[in-house]
Amino acid sequence: MSTALETRGLGKRYGRNWALRECSLAVPAGRVAGLVGPNGAGKTTLLHLAVGLLRPDAGSVRVLGDTPETGLPRIGFVAQDAPLYRDFHAADLITMGQKLNKRWDSGFARDRLTQLRIPLDRKVGKLSAGQRAQVALALALARKPDLLLLDEPVASLDPLARREFLQVLMGGVAEHGTTVLLSSHLVADLERVCDYLIVLNESRVQVLGGVEDLLATHKVLVGPRRADRAGPVAGVATVIRESHTDRQTSLLVRTHGPVLDPAWMARDLTLEDLVLAYLAEPSSGSLPGPDRLGIENGMEMTS
Amino acid sequence: MIEFHLDGRSKVATYLQLVQQVKQSLRLGLIDPGDQLPRVREVAEALAINPNTVLKAYRQLELEHLVAARPGVGTFVTRSLAGPALANQAALRHELIGWLSRARTAGLDQEDVVALVETTMRATFQEGLDGGADEGVDTA
Amino acid sequence: MIWLTWRQHRLQAAYLLLGTLAVSAALFPIGRAMHSAFDNDGLAECLRTNGNPEFIRPAEGMGCGEFADLFMGRFGSLLPLGILLVLLPMLVGLFLGAPLVAREVEQGTHRLVWTQGVSRLRWATTKFGLITLFGLALAAGYAVLLTWWIEPLAAAAGSRLEWLVFDLQGVVPLAYTLFAIALGIAAGAVSRKLLPAMGITLAGFVVARVLVAWLGRPRYQEPIERRISVVTDRLPNELHGEWNLSSGVYDASGRQIVANGNRYCPPEALANDRAPGVCDPTTYNLEVYQPAGRFWTFQWIEAGIFAVLAAALLAFAVYRVRNRIS
Repeated sequence: MSTALETRGLGKRYGRNWALRECSLAVPAGRVAGLVGPNGAGKTTLLHLAVGLLRPDAGSVRVLGDTPETGLPRIGFVAQDAPLYRDFHAADLITMGQKLNKRWDSGFARDRLTQLRIPLDRKVGKLSAGQRAQVALALALARKPDLLLLDEPVASLDPLARREFLQVLMGGVAEHGTTVLLSSHLVADLERVCDYLIVLNESRVQVLGGVEDLLATHKVLVGPRRADRAGPVAGVATVIRESHTDRQTSLLVRTHGPVLDPAWMARDLTLEDLVLAYLAEPSSGSLPGPDRLGIENGMEMTS
Repeated sequence: MIEFHLDGRSKVATYLQLVQQVKQSLRLGLIDPGDQLPRVREVAEALAINPNTVLKAYRQLELEHLVAARPGVGTFVTRSLAGPALANQAALRHELIGWLSRARTAGLDQEDVVALVETTMRATFQEGLDGGADEGVDTA
Repeated sequence: MIWLTWRQHRLQAAYLLLGTLAVSAALFPIGRAMHSAFDNDGLAECLRTNGNPEFIRPAEGMGCGEFADLFMGRFGSLLPLGILLVLLPMLVGLFLGAPLVAREVEQGTHRLVWTQGVSRLRWATTKFGLITLFGLALAAGYAVLLTWWIEPLAAAAGSRLEWLVFDLQGVVPLAYTLFAIALGIAAGAVSRKLLPAMGITLAGFVVARVLVAWLGRPRYQEPIERRISVVTDRLPNELHGEWNLSSGVYDASGRQIVANGNRYCPPEALANDRAPGVCDPTTYNLEVYQPAGRFWTFQWIEAGIFAVLAAALLAFAVYRVRNRIS
């Protein structure tokens, strides 16, 4: 199948509040997708719906072509804060996995933890947060999943532990071609490992697309001061953010062609800049499909 | 075997950094035709980067006919970029050190040196293009 | 799943087992002393000889009341200990039942175990089932001990159906334990935190037990009424085992003269009536009681009530686990 995770109009409600609504997205197989958004935007809700811990109130979610219940054996999941039975040894947890799972590679889990020098016979509660995260990841990978879902796996880890976690994760992906969806609010880390981006803001999907494509089409244009929301600029599909000094105007834009106007100097963005810009402007979006708002370019420059 | 490293602050895309590092090693003769490049998995794990990025870099090198992928085995260097022999380069390097100390005495700082080298290089190599072989041009 | 349940709860089980053994060890010597006193100091002998009839003639000195009083004088103070023992099923429910779901959810590990290869239904039924079985096994052990322990006290105090005595004998301790465990599990499935779950279990257990024992138990079967004239030479044998629900003295027209009490006047007293009107032969004692023979019927009825409650609570807990927790 070509999509590892697909949602259509997915929604979840708590009382009268919708934690997630009208969420439609698709994560292509083989990608490492980053799920970004402020706290309360619905990231955890989306992941819990995908893994079957929650049932949708609206819309549908399909994982690896199946419902979450049916697809669960092929999914690996690590919840927020990597919950583990604190008085179990790592070896006990591996035994647990073997008893509960049909597809399970005990040897893989043991080797992985031994390589990281994590003791198998110590109570997991006595390990550091980084080591616990590694144990949780090893357990998830030992199921040999086709899709791996991680809820803020590195949020509370120190930089070294974060790096080591991502190393192990990337090694696992390289070896098995696992599709990964990981949520985070640390975008800088995501830029190294993610090639697909989902931005959730105010319980809706705001940005969806390949990282390479997004970075290629988004630019910061700097030019002489002009009036706020003045006319269209050639090559620009949407203006995401606009700011002015007394002599200069900066536009953060999504382009659909080259910006050849010599009045503007174009600069590339980091993924972090892009995400922050969208998060600051909840009404804008970049979704595959018709634009939701913006200054449509009526004039095409032909070269 | 090459060991890759990333400059997180560089504006250059990750995969291009890897391509450049391979080319640099080829130029310096650190790897030769027939040598194997590190496996995708090892690079992804060592640098904590997406394996697709590594694949993209290797594919780019393949497009430039510098490496060839052998399925199930690995990616191997097919061509060298080392132009002049290492010995010549040692002599050139020696001259360069001399020139640099003279430039420093003359009062040029690093940025001045780089600017001077870049503009002169552009002019000189442009002439050379019209007349001779150049590094990075496909001669295969 | 069986392995997981064992590994997760083996320490809890060990502590509970140890606690039960400790309680048993404490009770055993006292029980031995009581049985020994009962057998050897005359009460048992007396009851055997006079056959423990329904009525006795005090004039002929047929009662064993003196022996009973002696025995109760020595061991009667142990009866309040019974209150502690009555709470034992609740403790099992608190420490075995309440943490089952509550601690799992509180620590977030449900998100680990429910995303492995086992369905929530299988998780719930295996865990609830195994834990309940262990609790019942424990309860069976101390029910046997308690029945043996309280036997002489019950005989000396009067009725096996009495409060406290009934609760510590027969099959009801098992039913109380089953109920307490089910209540603990269900409380945890609702509150999702350990301390509130324990609180609900404690309160729920006390309320349920009090309500059933107070409102239900006297009415499991229609009580029997017994009328005895105030002037009589035969008195009801207090050691016969009837469970007195109420007693009073009524006059010929049915009006109550004395509430919560009896009046017995031997026929000779009529002759030298120092208190005119007191020994009026037209007045009678009315006793409402449950006969001793209904002990096992009542045991099974009350056990059945708590078993049904436990089943409902467990089903509810399974529902909560499958549908209301994420």
